[in-house]
Amino acid sequence: MKRLRDFFQRDQDASANVARERLKLMISQDRMQRNQPDFLPRLQKELIEVIRRYTHSASDDIQVSCHALPHRSQIEVNVSWPKNTS
Amino acid sequence: MARVVVITSGKGGVGKTTSCASIGTALAMQGFRTVLIDFDVGLRNLDLVMGCERRVVYDLINVLSGEANLSQALIKDKRVDGLYMLPASQTRDKDALTTEGVEQIINELKDDFDYILCDSPAGIERGAIMAMYFAEAAVVVTNPEVSSVRDSDRIIGLLDSRTRMAEEGKPVSAQLLITRYDPERVEHADMMSVQDIEEILAIPLVGVVPESDAVLRASNKGTPVVHDKESDAGQAYLDTTARFLGEERPMRFLEVERKGFLSRMFGGR
Ligand SMILES: Nc1ncnc2c1ncn2[C@@H]1O[C@H](COP(=O)(O)OP(=O)(O)OP(=O)(O)O)[C@@H](O)[C@H]1O
Ligand SMILES: [Mg+2]
Repeated sequence: MKRLRDFFQRDQDASANVARERLKLMISQDRMQRNQPDFLPRLQKELIEVIRRYTHSASDDIQVSCHALPHRSQIEVNVSWPKNTS
Repeated sequence: MARVVVITSGKGGVGKTTSCASIGTALAMQGFRTVLIDFDVGLRNLDLVMGCERRVVYDLINVLSGEANLSQALIKDKRVDGLYMLPASQTRDKDALTTEGVEQIINELKDDFDYILCDSPAGIERGAIMAMYFAEAAVVVTNPEVSSVRDSDRIIGLLDSRTRMAEEGKPVSAQLLITRYDPERVEHADMMSVQDIEEILAIPLVGVVPESDAVLRASNKGTPVVHDKESDAGQAYLDTTARFLGEERPMRFLEVERKGFLSRMFGGR
């Protein structure tokens, strides 16, 4: 019965499925933020300021992300900039 | 020595107070001495759902400030033996709710009771943190709805970080209670299913309470819905309490009630 119903129902459009996918995304972001140290936003801001002083990168060209390893935390900084301005 | 349990949710209006009243009543029916504490300072709801609003003399804040002692403030339930409640105050300010004060009250109650259920206010602020801080177990009340599930996840995060247990490196055992579940809307794929929510929140499921008119009737009368043993919600709370106590029971009220074979075949609903 259930399988028959699924077959006829366009699963992707169903609002419950949309809700589920939105939630998964939101919650994974929430959980990431939850585990971040409080100083991260400030560190991020200052890092970006310092890096831009040298590279003149656009702000999207600098990405700072935080990762939780089993016994340590780690930040990863990715910077790129246009060749002629450096 | 009592077990301290918080009934919490993050989002407001999802059924915490309803659940606290019914689970508490069901625990007392099983012979466990149970006390319900209303932490919703400023609103005061639990006494209404329990139907003892006219017997409130002193409240939690009076006890915290030393104006009354616990035995003066505790209200004994008239229907079930061994069931008591400590009302919240309606007006007084929330700052009176201190960790030390709450700890003292809980410690005092621990000697006399088997279960202390803390009915949390909505939100993730001070009141909600106070309600969960001393809990060893939590019932996370969730509606099948995006904002409710998201808030529940936040609350689970707080249970893992902002409780005495968490500070001591021990986990608070959190269980999921889905309320206001509407199988018909799930079937039409307009409501997330139990499985969806379980998968996202990843904590064990203790019960599913269907959307039910019996809940409104019960709160009109000031009788916890678990007393209405004919009703779906009442039975769901009895099941939930049995599972909470470790019994294994299959989940009920997850499917739309079918009228019969013919109506099923021809879609009459
Ligand atoms: N299973 C249910 N079926 C129908 N109505 C319900 C159900 N559970 C709760 N309600 C209704 O939802 C409303 C909110 O319930 P309740 O007061 O228990 O929520 P709450 O989480 O304690 O709210 P608050 O966050 O304001 O403290 C009430 O009107 C109640 O009657
Ligand atoms: Mg409430």
